[in-house]
Amino acid sequence: MRHALVTGGGRGIGRAICLALARKGYFVSVNYLSGKDSAEETLRLVQEGGGAGDLWPFDVSKREQTNAFAEAWRRKHEGSHIEIIVNNAGIRQDNLMVWMKAEEWTRVMETNLQSFFNVVQPLLLPMLAGKFGRIVNVASLSGLKGMPGQVNYSASKGGLIAATKALAQEVARKDVTVNAVAPGFIATDMTADLDEKELRTLIPAGRFGKAEEVASVVSFLVSEEASYVTGEVISVNGGLYT
Amino acid sequence: MDIRNEELIEKINQVMAEEFEADPELIRPEAPLMETLDLDSLDLVDVVVLVDNNFGVMLSAQDFSGLKTFQDFYDLISRKMNEKK
Repeated sequence: MRHALVTGGGRGIGRAICLALARKGYFVSVNYLSGKDSAEETLRLVQEGGGAGDLWPFDVSKREQTNAFAEAWRRKHEGSHIEIIVNNAGIRQDNLMVWMKAEEWTRVMETNLQSFFNVVQPLLLPMLAGKFGRIVNVASLSGLKGMPGQVNYSASKGGLIAATKALAQEVARKDVTVNAVAPGFIATDMTADLDEKELRTLIPAGRFGKAEEVASVVSFLVSEEASYVTGEVISVNGGLYT
Repeated sequence: MDIRNEELIEKINQVMAEEFEADPELIRPEAPLMETLDLDSLDLVDVVVLVDNNFGVMLSAQDFSGLKTFQDFYDLISRKMNEKK
């Protein structure tokens, strides 16, 4: 059984990814920071569907916490290692640049981009040694196009996309693939404050996406079948930006 | 050099030659490690795993800085094994 880690797996796109991977037979380690009840509900749904997993509360933006997680995970799952990482945890703190506080910039960069290093680095060596790995980063349309009012978020996701492409080239020879998905407007808690009625007129598909529609792409990217796809960014945005 | 060291060197040469499909004849103490085994920096991952599996010591990236010849490599592993005792 392959082991997967999904950061920010408690709700939204992360939860849908956990459920999709569990259905494929992976053991899913669900990370969350706040929202213990939601994370427990994710695990319950995983188990209800016949899957297996466990819960790992830690802050992906804190290096000491991700290192401690990597150690604790190895102790608990002795003889195994994480072969699939889905870096999904992310936040947005939107503001026009002219009004943006330094903390809004830093917090978003640390959670969305620094976390990529924090989570992946301590788990990479066993993945390379095992000559199999799948890393999927949940980026965003904002990281491709840039969105006004989201200079911090766009920069963090754009950085994540560049990191995806660079790492993909470093580790391809070890059969470790690194890809990103770039969701557009997906109906989750994170977009609950947006005016869907107004925004959907901009989307060729005429609606917000569902978390499951992102999860199905992630599910493909982590599969054996996606072994020759690496360094790619797959947009899941209903045709909003191509 | 005592017998144990010779045994260690023989074992190192054997596992390295097997893993990296190198001509054992080319592996000599003064030979350059990376060039002889045709290693690049990513291959050091395999060296780390190999050394851990066979000799029970974990090498880090810093251990490889300044390391040039097989003799340096033997000394490194020997030192690490002694540190562990």
